[in-house]
Amino acid sequence: MTEQEPISTAPVWLPRIVGPALRFGDDVNTDELHPSRFYSLDDTTVRSGFLRAAEGHERRADSNLTGRVVIAGRNFGIGSSRETGARVFLLHGIVAVVAVSFARIFYRNVMNLGLPAFTCPGLAADLDHVADGATIAIGESPFGTVLQLGDGRDAIAVSPLDPYWEAVATAGGLEAFLRLGPS
Amino acid sequence: MSLTRRILDARAGEEVVPGSAYRWVEPELVLGHEATIALLIDRLARSGRRVRFPDRCFFAADHFTPPASAERAGILKRYLDFVEDQGIATRHLFKGISHQILVEDPRCLPGAVIAGADSHTTTAGAVGAFAAGFGSTDILCLLATGRVAMRVPDAVRFRFYGTLPAWVSGKDLALVMMRHFGEGGAGYRSIEFIDDTDPGRPIDMASRFTLCNMAVDCGAKNGLFVPDEVTWRYLEGRDGNADRSGDWRAFADDPDYVEQVEIDVSTLVPLVARPGSPSDIIPAAEADGERVHQVFIGSCAGGRLEDLRDAAEVLKGRQVPGTLRLVVTPASQKVYLDAMREGLIETLIAAGAMVTASACGACGGIDKGLLGAGEVCVSTSNRNFRGRMGSVDARIYLASARTAAASALAGRVVDPRF
Repeated sequence: MTEQEPISTAPVWLPRIVGPALRFGDDVNTDELHPSRFYSLDDTTVRSGFLRAAEGHERRADSNLTGRVVIAGRNFGIGSSRETGARVFLLHGIVAVVAVSFARIFYRNVMNLGLPAFTCPGLAADLDHVADGATIAIGESPFGTVLQLGDGRDAIAVSPLDPYWEAVATAGGLEAFLRLGPS
Repeated sequence: MSLTRRILDARAGEEVVPGSAYRWVEPELVLGHEATIALLIDRLARSGRRVRFPDRCFFAADHFTPPASAERAGILKRYLDFVEDQGIATRHLFKGISHQILVEDPRCLPGAVIAGADSHTTTAGAVGAFAAGFGSTDILCLLATGRVAMRVPDAVRFRFYGTLPAWVSGKDLALVMMRHFGEGGAGYRSIEFIDDTDPGRPIDMASRFTLCNMAVDCGAKNGLFVPDEVTWRYLEGRDGNADRSGDWRAFADDPDYVEQVEIDVSTLVPLVARPGSPSDIIPAAEADGERVHQVFIGSCAGGRLEDLRDAAEVLKGRQVPGTLRLVVTPASQKVYLDAMREGLIETLIAAGAMVTASACGACGGIDKGLLGAGEVCVSTSNRNFRGRMGSVDARIYLASARTAAASALAGRVVDPRF
């Protein structure tokens, strides 16, 4: 994100990622996020399937979601390993995914593709107060990575990354980390 | 020590990066199919690499097989060309659902480490293997290098005891597990199952496959059945012999578990998962009243020979309503042939079933049994998410083959005992 305007209470930390929330609840599965009929090797088809079976979000793929930060509850991305279900977030320009917890394969897929994913157990208590479109900021504080929901709220601690995921995130994805990219 | 820890510790190499809980693991088998492998073919080519260990690849063709559209035929062709070009064995192609044909293979053994490009790879844990699913980028790197980064998960000890009532099957046990954990309650963990039920009617292998299959649907990294007499007999029947050495149970009784669950199977009744979530469980008797338009008996969770036997027993000599679609998809061609030899296919067709080629089919919303708006399906598969089998306005109940077959006869969701 290029937007670096400070949020209303002066943060003691520098936001690294700022964007409007795209909000989901608990146990949102990959079939809702990206139904299998949109599985394809063609990006246009994959892109058009985003959220087509997610209740209340069925038409969101038709709007501009570039720059959004996904905010979700427990067990985000449970279900299929189809990586199109993670790639579609990148195709729509989502800049980060934050959840109380992630389903294991979905988390690996998102991180492997170079989209930052943040696990934030402390988000559970506040998720109901986050409106779709509210400003979300993620950045580094002296105490580690933190998340701020909307203007003026207290920052919430993000779970520290294992050094492996730290290295993958820094490289921008697993292929880059392993230097498997185009030679 | 959990069995998963024991297996992974024995196989894990160096730390991926200093201080990390992740270590490099070299699986002896990599399961793949056209839908997930097709996503990495071009990327592997661009990296200038080839599949490093083609002999470790267990590649099936089960999702778009036979293809229902020109686009999917094209995806399948790319995959088949890739398999051929990389020198990967072609003998598993078109033989059925990857997870079923893997457990029919002599290389699927206790203690094996299996990584698969599909979430339901966990199925293979029923023989006492470590088996987990991964996405295409992990599999791409695994194919190129032979290894994947993993950490040892915390383990849950999940023990069954008591006497299994008639009419209660492995699917009902899986739904008990789903009710216990919810969709994410076993997140990142290993579920290690122990069968201490009445040895006169132990939990059969088909039920164990279903339990390990659905372990991923409550968030687990892997499900693993502690090998016992049932396992050895299965392996003897499959391979002609079984290596009974190793004190598996002693490890499983060691208290390195973050949670212990004890399930008395004696009091269980046939269950269903209500539409929308595989963990929204009620007794089948309480789902009464809803008209059913399709019954699907198939998938890696519920299309095995034992499922077809259960369904045939319920349907023998009877007829499903004329407007009800009863779709039966044997999980593999071996299952299909065995069912033919036992006369099950004839019984099912006589009762009104349409029997389709062994593939994923209706379960993944791919073909041969999708649902329209307003339709209700009772399915022996593992996922009943919104839109999973077609329209977002269709409703899917998950149930055992007995409950599904009885519901087909009644034209509504019923308890098979009544």
